[in-house]
Amino acid sequence: MPSIRRALVLGAAAMAALLSACSPAAPEPEGSVLRARLNADIISSDPGMKRDANTDAVILHVVEGLVAAREDGSVGPMLADRWTVSPDGRTYRFHLRDGVRFHNGAPLTAAAVVWSLNRYLAPDSRWRCKADLSHGGVAPVESVRADGRDMVEVRLEQAAPLFLAELARLDCGGTGIVHRDSVDAAGRWRYPIGTGPFRWGEWRHKQFIDLPRFDGYRSLPGAPDGIGGGKQALVDRVRFSVIPDGSAAAAALVRGSLDVLDALAPNELANVTGVPGIHLSSAPSLDFYGVLFQVKDPLLADPRLRRAIALSIDVGALTRVVTHGTGSADSSPIPTASPFFGAVQRPLIKRDLAAARALAKEAGYKGQPIRLATSHSPPEMYDAAILIQAMARDAGINIEVETIDWASQLARYTNGNYQAMVFGFSARLDPSLTYGVLIGDKREEPRKAWDTPEAHALLRQSIATADPAARQRIFDALERRFRAEVPAIILYNTHRVTALRDRVTGYRNWPGQTQRLWNVAREAR
Amino acid sequence: MRGRAHQYLGFGLVGLLLLVILTGFVWLPYDPLAIDLDNVLAPPSWAHWLGTDQFGRDVAARAMLGARISAFIALQTVALTVLAGLIVGLASGFLRGWTDRILMTFSDALLAFPGILLALSLIAVLGQSRHSIVIALSIAYLPSVVRVVRAAALSIREREYVEASRAAGDGPLYTVWRYVLPNALPPVLIIATSLFGWVVLSESALSFLGVGVPAPAPTWGNMLSSARPYMASASWLSIAPGLCIVATLLGINMLGDALRDRLDPRNAA
Amino acid sequence: MLTYIFKRLLLAIPTLFLVALAVFLLVRLIPGDPAQVMLGEGASPEAIASLRTELGLDEAVPVQFATWLGRSLGGDLGNSAITGEPVGALILSRFQLTAVVVLISVGLATLIAVTFGLLAAWRQNSRLDLAVLGMASFVLAVPSFWLGLVLLLVFGVMLQWLPVVGYVPFSEDALGAVLFLVLPIVTLTISETGVLTRMMRSSTIDVLRLDYVTHARAKGLSERTVLMRHVFPNAFAPTLTLVGLTLGRLFGGIAVIETVFTLPGLGRLMVDSVLARDYPVVQGCLLFTATLYVLVNLLVDILYPLFDPRVTVS
Repeated sequence: MPSIRRALVLGAAAMAALLSACSPAAPEPEGSVLRARLNADIISSDPGMKRDANTDAVILHVVEGLVAAREDGSVGPMLADRWTVSPDGRTYRFHLRDGVRFHNGAPLTAAAVVWSLNRYLAPDSRWRCKADLSHGGVAPVESVRADGRDMVEVRLEQAAPLFLAELARLDCGGTGIVHRDSVDAAGRWRYPIGTGPFRWGEWRHKQFIDLPRFDGYRSLPGAPDGIGGGKQALVDRVRFSVIPDGSAAAAALVRGSLDVLDALAPNELANVTGVPGIHLSSAPSLDFYGVLFQVKDPLLADPRLRRAIALSIDVGALTRVVTHGTGSADSSPIPTASPFFGAVQRPLIKRDLAAARALAKEAGYKGQPIRLATSHSPPEMYDAAILIQAMARDAGINIEVETIDWASQLARYTNGNYQAMVFGFSARLDPSLTYGVLIGDKREEPRKAWDTPEAHALLRQSIATADPAARQRIFDALERRFRAEVPAIILYNTHRVTALRDRVTGYRNWPGQTQRLWNVAREAR
Repeated sequence: MRGRAHQYLGFGLVGLLLLVILTGFVWLPYDPLAIDLDNVLAPPSWAHWLGTDQFGRDVAARAMLGARISAFIALQTVALTVLAGLIVGLASGFLRGWTDRILMTFSDALLAFPGILLALSLIAVLGQSRHSIVIALSIAYLPSVVRVVRAAALSIREREYVEASRAAGDGPLYTVWRYVLPNALPPVLIIATSLFGWVVLSESALSFLGVGVPAPAPTWGNMLSSARPYMASASWLSIAPGLCIVATLLGINMLGDALRDRLDPRNAA
Repeated sequence: MLTYIFKRLLLAIPTLFLVALAVFLLVRLIPGDPAQVMLGEGASPEAIASLRTELGLDEAVPVQFATWLGRSLGGDLGNSAITGEPVGALILSRFQLTAVVVLISVGLATLIAVTFGLLAAWRQNSRLDLAVLGMASFVLAVPSFWLGLVLLLVFGVMLQWLPVVGYVPFSEDALGAVLFLVLPIVTLTISETGVLTRMMRSSTIDVLRLDYVTHARAKGLSERTVLMRHVFPNAFAPTLTLVGLTLGRLFGGIAVIETVFTLPGLGRLMVDSVLARDYPVVQGCLLFTATLYVLVNLLVDILYPLFDPRVTVS
């Protein structure tokens, strides 16, 4: 049958063509290369504009702000080596470090800083921190001006102790200062020309981002600390490869085509533990996972029922199983790794089924179903929901798990459209910011779980206070209220686990949860 | 000879499935939802025949309850699809003309969708629940049933008894009810059997993608899905539910073949 | 012939229009939107609102539909809401991988099915026939994703012959990519063999009963010639239709296998973009696969008369 043979030949030719049509070979970067992984492509290269956690992590290798977040959540110097605050707390004067240059060789000047800050605060900017630093925000900026070549003066509408913390926020790109040539003549973003230890190299969408070493980098003295401190590029080039699938990334690490595998999911740990040539680095994060209650729901309006649910959960056992032994059980919104995690925050809510039953009965609860929404992103939230359902059942509380996809869950979280919901909040460096995600006016922001005048007042106080001891007292008071009113149940903080090839030295995790590839060396084999 | 052996095997496997489901109503080895955090990922043993999962739940008990849930979903879906398929297919095949053309365009459009994606989007719209899965799968499989019914109706409407019924002045609804429908049933019965198997398969695939029957209710599909991270360390979690699906489908398919042998006139010889 | 093709294409237009409309309405009925997904849990309502405006989600749905349809007809499927990549390029790059896997698998499955189906029918009710039929029934009962998992467990984890996970593009590591594609292709081939074998067997049995086969045998032609020259061409036609349907179905539907083997193919792209509410990508993918399905079916209908002499195009 000649026509069939012809068809087969044609088919084979088509397959060969398809195979060879796949994209051309990626050039091998020369020199020493440190290979890290991103679980998704970055969204843009514009600091804090269009962003997610991956975008922040990459961009913070390239740009630096006036100040930078430190390991303990405080703020330290970066491009500014010192600054003064006027007695009324409204005027900040930053002194720029000597000898700092942009990646294009241009020196860092006060004018460049002013240009950068004004770009972030421009009316049409979509910068993450714009709302907070504009009129009506927590630290409204009135004006930014240069004073000579190396002084920058920022005037605020009112005193705002959180101003520097805002500037250092990782999700705002650390307010990275970029050179004017980062945008084209029409004002469109090109790529970041910053002052960081790595330059912007090649961004191949969905594949990788290459950051070559910046040879003209001028480091701060001392040890690295958070995003600040002494920083050095110890490899010629850093490559962030986009590998969405966790087990694929683990396989790449085992095979040796990856050096650093950050943000290992708990259920993927088994793939890399005990593999020769690989070691782990782990640090507690400043995130938290918990159950949010809709206190406006007729059933859950009664704090006794909410507390009954809290008492039915064995937080320690849940954390152990859900995080595969990596997380820290925590009953406080303040993460265990925070310097403000003290004696009041430390005690876990103990499982007490008798008390839970009694409280539920007191609240008039008669087995009405309570819908607990959850999703698979990350899978731990789903696992937590299953365990809560089973644990609450022991106290006679009837929870129905409702699994939805992440986008639906986000929509329902934003609208407050849930009875109960397992939810996770990414790392916030300051406890005021942590409480800020829970406390708010439900009429304006239905996503806020906790809306009582006392909580509002304490949160405002914590923002306006600078003294750490005084702030600790405010957070302790908040903690007591939180535990009495139970607008949410906190379950655990995750640990950031990074798997590394043994040839990689100097990598450290930190509470800010971004990968930091400066001061990291890779031995040639 | 061959037909017999297949028939017996088919009846045997389906009977076993029924037995498991019925037993599950009166007795389960453990509470399929009860967790035991001191006994997670235990390999099969006398206490737990099929081991325990990552929350210490008994896999055997979950597989038994899963059989019930999977079978119920399949039955509901088959019933809904066949009912809708009969209505659309008979209307299309008996009335012909514009009705046929419009209905077939819709049916073709549905067929052109990748089935699993259609189901995925529908479930995302309707919310994840057993009802959503039934509705989504019914819509996805509707065109297949419509085609079978329509083809049957097209050939039946040309037969003498239909002509006679019309000549006798019977209304179209009566003619369809009295003559077309009964004669279209055998092929519908055959496809309904296959449909049962397809639905069991699709439900497990949807659950595997994470949009199937919501937790904590077990189905074979979502048991497989949650077993995936433990494939290397606790393979029993993947093996048991998979074998359940294979046995069920084998039984159903063989029963379907037997049915086809009996009802399809071409195979009469 | 050309008129026939033209007519068929014309008939496909209302179908495709319906598909486009359904796609558009369906994905917009799902709660949540890409703006929210992109900005995540900490985003302020104002930020979400402004991104929605930028993404054009604030316009009335009919306006959005008209705009999208107009652009799509011009070949511009828009850009991904999340990454800004052009949807057309994204689909094509993902489709390459899916197409390679599907074409090779269906090709292999057809070869196996034709061989064994023909032989089984030729020796109907023999031990060979029984074995072939038994295997086909068994294969039909095995969910493809479970088969994939078991193969992974055996060949990847226990024997360690093949990589478990970690698809690398051809461009990075050609050998690695080929090794990695072995298991998905084997899985899909086995899964698709069942139906095709049964179809080939039953249509061959039908043909063997026809008078002209008896005539051919009576003329003293060898069994081989009878089978290859007279039986095969006629028996293959229905199987070819099924191959076409299978191709059409698989091009859009191997999301599950892609999930098992972590392949960045078209199916995975669709599932992921539904979950991320990346409307332009979802719309583009569904339109692409639906069009492909219609075209593949058209191709089969055109090829059919070449194989089955009883059917002529009118």
